[in-house]
Amino acid sequence: MKPPPLVQSSVRIFDLSLGQMLWSRRSVFLGVLLGGPVLLALALRIVSTLYEAGFRINGVRAAGASIFGMMIWLLYLRFIVPILGVFYGTALIADEVDDKTITYLFTRPIPRRAVLFGKFLAYLACTVLLVLPSVMLVFFLVVPTGGGSIGAAFPSLVGDFGMLIVGLAAYGAVFAFVGTGVKRPLIVGLVFSFGWEPTVLLLPGYLKRLTVAYYLQALVKHEMPQDSAVSVLMQVFREVPSVAASLVCLAAIVAGTLWLSGRAVENREYVLEQ
Amino acid sequence: MPIHDQGYRRYGGDKAPRGQAWMVIARNGIRHMLGKRAFLGLLLLSWFPFFVRAVQIYAAANLPQAAFLAPTPETFRQFLDQQQIFVFFVTVYVGAGLIANDRRANALQIYLSKPLTRSEYVFGKLAILMTFLLIVTWLPAIVLLIVQLAFAGNFTFLRNNIFLFPAITVFAFIQVTLVATAMLALSSLSNSSRYVGILYSAVIFFTQAIYGVLFAVTRSTSFSWISFPANLAQIGDVIFRLPPASSPRRASSSSGASAAWRSSRDDERGRSGDRNRRRRSSLKVVRPGHRVE
Amino acid sequence: MSVSVPPGITGLLGPNGAGKSTFMKVITGQLKPSKGTITVLGEPIWNNPSLYFRIGFCPEQDSFYERMTGLEWVTALVRLNGLSDGDATEMAHRALKAVELTDAANKKIGAYSKGMRQRVKMAQALAHDPHLLILDEPLSGMDPIARRKTIRMVKDWARAGKSIIVSSHILHEIESMTSNILLINQGRILAEGNVHQIRDLIDEHPHTVYIRAEQTRALARAFLAQDDVLSLRFEDEAVVVQTGRPDAFYARLTDLAASGELGAIHEVTSPDDNLQAVFKYLVKS
Repeated sequence: MKPPPLVQSSVRIFDLSLGQMLWSRRSVFLGVLLGGPVLLALALRIVSTLYEAGFRINGVRAAGASIFGMMIWLLYLRFIVPILGVFYGTALIADEVDDKTITYLFTRPIPRRAVLFGKFLAYLACTVLLVLPSVMLVFFLVVPTGGGSIGAAFPSLVGDFGMLIVGLAAYGAVFAFVGTGVKRPLIVGLVFSFGWEPTVLLLPGYLKRLTVAYYLQALVKHEMPQDSAVSVLMQVFREVPSVAASLVCLAAIVAGTLWLSGRAVENREYVLEQ
Repeated sequence: MPIHDQGYRRYGGDKAPRGQAWMVIARNGIRHMLGKRAFLGLLLLSWFPFFVRAVQIYAAANLPQAAFLAPTPETFRQFLDQQQIFVFFVTVYVGAGLIANDRRANALQIYLSKPLTRSEYVFGKLAILMTFLLIVTWLPAIVLLIVQLAFAGNFTFLRNNIFLFPAITVFAFIQVTLVATAMLALSSLSNSSRYVGILYSAVIFFTQAIYGVLFAVTRSTSFSWISFPANLAQIGDVIFRLPPASSPRRASSSSGASAAWRSSRDDERGRSGDRNRRRRSSLKVVRPGHRVE
Repeated sequence: MSVSVPPGITGLLGPNGAGKSTFMKVITGQLKPSKGTITVLGEPIWNNPSLYFRIGFCPEQDSFYERMTGLEWVTALVRLNGLSDGDATEMAHRALKAVELTDAANKKIGAYSKGMRQRVKMAQALAHDPHLLILDEPLSGMDPIARRKTIRMVKDWARAGKSIIVSSHILHEIESMTSNILLINQGRILAEGNVHQIRDLIDEHPHTVYIRAEQTRALARAFLAQDDVLSLRFEDEAVVVQTGRPDAFYARLTDLAASGELGAIHEVTSPDDNLQAVFKYLVKS
């Protein structure tokens, strides 16, 4: 008898894992974390409503869309998406090994990499279900401030959704690979997201192409707030690839790292803690 | 008697006085961490900025052309700032599993069935993390001060900046105590050290990100209480008698952005003691990819 | 190890740390052998998922997706065999019925007792009707009644044509299931086959025979006249003999009992013709 095809096996693992992931304590915590930007947006909205002058930057009233864009960049793209990628991605297989339930999955007539792919799909679905409502709420709270129009800004919201999903997929795949090969994937993940990426993005040259953020920032359509020294420095060194090139590269990153992770899972022995 | 009893015998020697059991936990924990090569590598790496600064101090003391590199009290403040990244990683590496691993292995029942109070247990665990954090913050800063004395060959700098020794000690201890107690509290909430590490990272980075947004919108540091690192930074500035920073520091300060920002702050502070009043805060809105002319 | 496991129930025995679980993990494809090859049902097991259609594994560890019900969990695992939802649910029901968990099928596994947890583990192993069942310490943590039920179930599965490898370090459990054993210690095979045959083959180790009789001293005199009796001692109304040639000894004893010339013989047993004695002897040697 032949094992079920890879796609079918992955979908079945996805079915099995989604419920586990979505209703775990970890997801509840992350849901609370994602409430932070919503609370912030609510606070900004209240302040904007109470003070007719609104937020003024350099004497000019700040539009809600720019504040929303800044929140997307600073909160979601530079922090929440990488953190979700590190948190879930490094633990796709490791959690099953720690819980000692991996045995049940690896003694089924499915390729081992189907377990990884299925769990990756579950991670993506779970994080999208957590992040997108938060983004939407922030959008509806913040954009109308400063005379902004929800209708006019709505297309950019759709673009932001797409960008965040692509970001979640890219970071999740990269950290899934880290999780299959490295002993302390959490540390490596944090070093990569909050050490390597911010540093290398500032430097001229080709090093920045070894980050996910370099390609993601090309997908950001919002106007970025710029402060004096740091942002000028960042802008001077920033080279941004085209949207098409970025999407292709991100797709290649996802495909490549997932393939490598699948190979690692197939060849590795998982010794359970006694 | 010629043939001795090999069976169980009661211990008849001296026993340590009560209240010292925490030292056993601390000693074992420290020994356990020092047995890990990767961790030793991290500790070694954390002293790299010290060596860079030592070279700077040597050059300033011995080369007239390098006189501009002469250390000031801000040098030591910046050094402690630079060590933040290592504080973060040591805290996650050492601290995440301190209580979480014991919970996971059901070892708490065993610990607390010994003549060991809960306070001793917690204090012992705290001591492990605080020891390594002090090795990464207080110790190199104090050694740097001694190195400055040694290379300068006189006590002039120390006499003019006598507050530096207590400032370094107080700030390092405040920082280490806050960070260690926060991590220990988080570690006690879970039996997964990975989860605790993420929780701690979220507290640090998320609060910093929220503060960053509020600062960008309001241009005011009055919301710095939201951010753990910003709070510490404010305390540090006060202890070192420096004007408070006018923009949010990033928690992971190894980046060039942080260095550029600090050098711009140095320029500002170097020219005047009260730069902030005269600085205009300006905000330009630029699309990504567009150069600023 | 170089071993060939026959159909029926094979007991995998060994003290703690002998390598039983490691052996189980190797034959279920979770660990690779460092040297040599391993084939299960004629095919290499490592990275060969199609073999798992014919293998069911019940691992030792007590780990589950605690939030799922027994039925949901077994169904989800059976679905991985490529079955439709309906078929998978039906097979799960059948498996849970076989392990007498029908009433608790819709309870969360987190609320199960230890015995129920062991049984639901076995349910997931046999739900897809495998040819070979591998059970790692299946009776661990069970109460005596649950143990008896499980032993009966295992024997029923063997009678139904399945090949079963059961590992345990508790000898009487294995003895009650099968006489076909694989005895390992420190990662090596000490013995394999029928426990009685193994016993007979241990020539250097004398057989002990316990005889309770009317005239124990007269019997002892008769035994001592033969050169195959190595030693002899008296216990309450019995004589315990050690012989190097049990067949010849039993033949003579039968004749003595039949003739009645040395009084009635009430009981004849061999305290070491059992698994424990074999185990003790081989493991210690």
